[in-house]
Amino acid sequence: MHSKYAGIHYIVPAFALLTLVLFSPVFYGVWFSLFRIQYGSPTDFAGLDNFRDLLSDPTLPATLHRSAIFTAAAVSITIALSLALAIWIHRLGERRGFLVQIIVIVPWIISTVVATLLFRWVFVNDIGLAGSIARMAGLDDIQMLNNPHSAMALLVAVSVWKRIGYAVIILLAGVKGIPDDYEEAALIDGATPFQIFRRITLPLLKTPLLLVAIVLTLSNLNTVETPLVLTGGGPGDATRILPMDVFDRAFITYDLGSATALALAMFFGNVLLVLAYVRLAKWKT
Amino acid sequence: MTAHTALLACSQGQSVKIPRAHRRILSTVTGLVVAALFSLLVILNLLPLIWGMLTSLKGEPDLFRFPPVIFDFTPTLENYQRVIDSGFLGNMRASLVYCVVTVVAALTLALPAAYAFDRFNFPLRQPLFLLIVASIPLSLGAAALLIPNYLYFTKLGLTNAWFTLPLIYTAHQLPMAIWIMKGTLEGIPKELDEAAIADGATHFEVLRHIILPLSRPALGAAGVLTFVGSWNEFVASSVMVDSPGLRPIQPAIYNFIGFFGREWGPLTASAMLAIIPILITFALLGRLIVSGLTKGSVKG
Amino acid sequence: MRPFVRASLAVAVLSLGISMSLPAFAQKATVRMWTFLNPSGTTPREVTLAKIISDFQAANPDIEIVTETHAFDQLTPKFLAAHGTGKAPDIIWAATDFLGDAIASGSLADLNELFINKWTPEQIADRKGPYWDLTLRNGKQYALFTSRNYISLLYRPDFFKQAGVDPDSIKTWDDFVKAAKALTVTDTSGQVVRYGFAQGYSEHQADPLLMIPMALANGDGIFKLDGRANFAHPAGVAAMKFQTDLIKEHKVSPPQAAAWTVDDVYEQFASGRAAMILGASVRVSTLQSKLGDDKVGMMLWPGSGEVEHAPAVMAGWAVGVWSGSKVKAQAGKFVEYMLGPIGDKMWVEKGGQSPGLLSTLASLGDFIKQPGKDYLRVAAEGSAKFGWLAPIDFSAGGYRQALNKAGQRILVNGEDVKASLERAESDFNRQHKR
Repeated sequence: MHSKYAGIHYIVPAFALLTLVLFSPVFYGVWFSLFRIQYGSPTDFAGLDNFRDLLSDPTLPATLHRSAIFTAAAVSITIALSLALAIWIHRLGERRGFLVQIIVIVPWIISTVVATLLFRWVFVNDIGLAGSIARMAGLDDIQMLNNPHSAMALLVAVSVWKRIGYAVIILLAGVKGIPDDYEEAALIDGATPFQIFRRITLPLLKTPLLLVAIVLTLSNLNTVETPLVLTGGGPGDATRILPMDVFDRAFITYDLGSATALALAMFFGNVLLVLAYVRLAKWKT
Repeated sequence: MTAHTALLACSQGQSVKIPRAHRRILSTVTGLVVAALFSLLVILNLLPLIWGMLTSLKGEPDLFRFPPVIFDFTPTLENYQRVIDSGFLGNMRASLVYCVVTVVAALTLALPAAYAFDRFNFPLRQPLFLLIVASIPLSLGAAALLIPNYLYFTKLGLTNAWFTLPLIYTAHQLPMAIWIMKGTLEGIPKELDEAAIADGATHFEVLRHIILPLSRPALGAAGVLTFVGSWNEFVASSVMVDSPGLRPIQPAIYNFIGFFGREWGPLTASAMLAIIPILITFALLGRLIVSGLTKGSVKG
Repeated sequence: MRPFVRASLAVAVLSLGISMSLPAFAQKATVRMWTFLNPSGTTPREVTLAKIISDFQAANPDIEIVTETHAFDQLTPKFLAAHGTGKAPDIIWAATDFLGDAIASGSLADLNELFINKWTPEQIADRKGPYWDLTLRNGKQYALFTSRNYISLLYRPDFFKQAGVDPDSIKTWDDFVKAAKALTVTDTSGQVVRYGFAQGYSEHQADPLLMIPMALANGDGIFKLDGRANFAHPAGVAAMKFQTDLIKEHKVSPPQAAAWTVDDVYEQFASGRAAMILGASVRVSTLQSKLGDDKVGMMLWPGSGEVEHAPAVMAGWAVGVWSGSKVKAQAGKFVEYMLGPIGDKMWVEKGGQSPGLLSTLASLGDFIKQPGKDYLRVAAEGSAKFGWLAPIDFSAGGYRQALNKAGQRILVNGEDVKASLERAESDFNRQHKR
């Protein structure tokens, strides 16, 4: 009972399941990526050839760069907006706050493909609602998707729109967890609202912010559906981000070797990112 | 830099005395800005939903009239009829079963794990917990490893069975659930279980009789997040099972964006049916989620 | 501790037990088929499939057909992966893009052995054509095609009438531009209300753009014999310039189309925003149900001096029997029925598909004369005489996407036509390591 291993059996079932479903496939994926893949099955041992193929792809650095910009923009905007929304909802009080909360989560609870399709139809497409209203007002078509910069901006906007609901819920819980007397005490001491936010609210939100940052970073970094449905990667390569590259390798040119290699590289990159976040936040378990 | 100083100056400026008339204008302006932002939020979030709802009630000829018709059409339930005729209720039932099993399994596995991570100090505790956190990308980015994953599961004989998707969903949702539950346990005073142990209770009894009742709201919150995550899962759902009876809703919805074109009528009708359970869950448990997460779980 | 370990053990044992006890009962042969159609669905094709299955089962009470519906874009890659694990379905619908892989991987059984050897020469002649030849390799017949797709011009007869343009007058590409100009409608404020022609350039769900038939008609094709891309030859450059000039120079095609998918184009067409579109024969019946039978027509591509009509890109679904199937004979029997004379006629009359057999076309005389059914004749004539199927001796996956992207770069970034096509060539070759 008091052995050094006490308690460890409580994590065994969870780890057994994770090993079976999440960890082992990664090892299998690594194994798979060391072979020449033909028609979906591993054939000859190829060593690191698949990874070498990746590195020799001249378009990869640009794709990586775009992914970084897209993810950084989407995550930072989502966090800033969701934090503001969470604080606002908290101040609104029970009933009105709940109403706003429900409105905020709507895009999050619709599946990504359908939500993105609807967004595109209503706000982007020139036969959609917004386009028709603009035309009736005598405005020219805006054609957001026809310019590399605005297409990327739109992709970021849709990602923020789709995922902000989740962030608001987690952060709202964090904000509600901060005892009101902290703020009152600070006010009495003459602190400005900004100081309160900076010195009280923000530090107390560290864990939810970390959770939200991790989840948002990973879901944006790995999203195929949003860019595929919204822009198809265009115009040109303007919105082609890494997961689309994996998708095209796997399902368009059917080069499973390099697709798996890239997917694995991305996965290990993801893990490093998570660890970096945890380290940055000086978070203790 | 300048933006930062401006912000500082602005926030400090508020404590400086402002003439009353001035202040009234200021609050009116703030009110207007808030109102404008709120309207923008409502438009952005509800318009696609409302448009989807209207579309689901339109017949074929009204779908693409130009300019688009908003209310001037004869509403019809034929899209819903088509969706239901194509077996969508069966898909919903499958999804519901999967998600309930997933929620129960995820919570059953997450609570003891969180308990162990928070209350014990076995070797490798820290690295193992980091491993849990680091496995979040596997659940969010699993799409990338689709084909090797499919081969792996097929070779083990784990595909195309009733337990296939609950198994995968549970593993996907487990890391997050453990994290949330561990946060909650941190907020439950250790003195409580120490006292119980002193009275001769076993660790399992502590877990069962002290931790479990106290972490109920957090279980509710983690459960709802798990439910939503599994309900909307698409990639594994569409690849890991084949039999029609095992198909959950997301691939069934996706079927209306088929080879012969996207059929907006049934597509929106099925999407509307799919969000009903989630909306109900949120309407009933929405407050619980926030309060459940609040109980220490996501506290700093 | 115990309860958790015990519970997880129980789950493990239970799941093992269930997964192993499945293939126990026999008697009736179960034939699994993977397709993208859902037989309990309500679209004409789905209803047709359901009817064919139930008719077949009624006649063959010892065979049960189990349809497992998949997303159309995952169907074939997943089948290939399943073949590798030895757990593939007995019948597969393979997409043209992956047909070469499916044959080369040995996943498809020779249909000659299953049923074609029993056919009379007349029966074989009834099927002859490019699709038959495509799936005939080294004397083996690997699949039969269904859901044949002929991708050329769809048009709105009512708009043609309004503009006083006769569809039959479009014989050359110059006629095409002239017609497109006449069909483009601008309102008083200078906004274009309707474009003469539209096609989508998005890489997502890319259809073969107009430049492909045009280049095929005037040049040596878009692939070299070794499978490398051959886009930037003079005919290719001229064709790409022609199609982008429809937007840039002639303004008869929408600039927004740089971001449009295939589905966007059909929706624009359904909204009356385009008089002609690049469109597929398989989509006509759906459009007719939105607009009315008399409002959607199909025509062959224009020609040049030498060829009467430029060859349209064709595609479809190749239905085959899995080489590892334990019920090959029964699976073959169903494929033969589903795509034979009875099935073929049902696919046409109920499902709105183009006929696969010459005898079906002949027997449909009156049916095709009905209003709106003329597209079936156009597609059948086109497939027989003016069609092109992407090669399957090497993987051609991604060629449409590469060309679409080249078009986007020309339209949006103002890139030079030849340079853009050369870049598309090198991208395609690199992706396929050629």
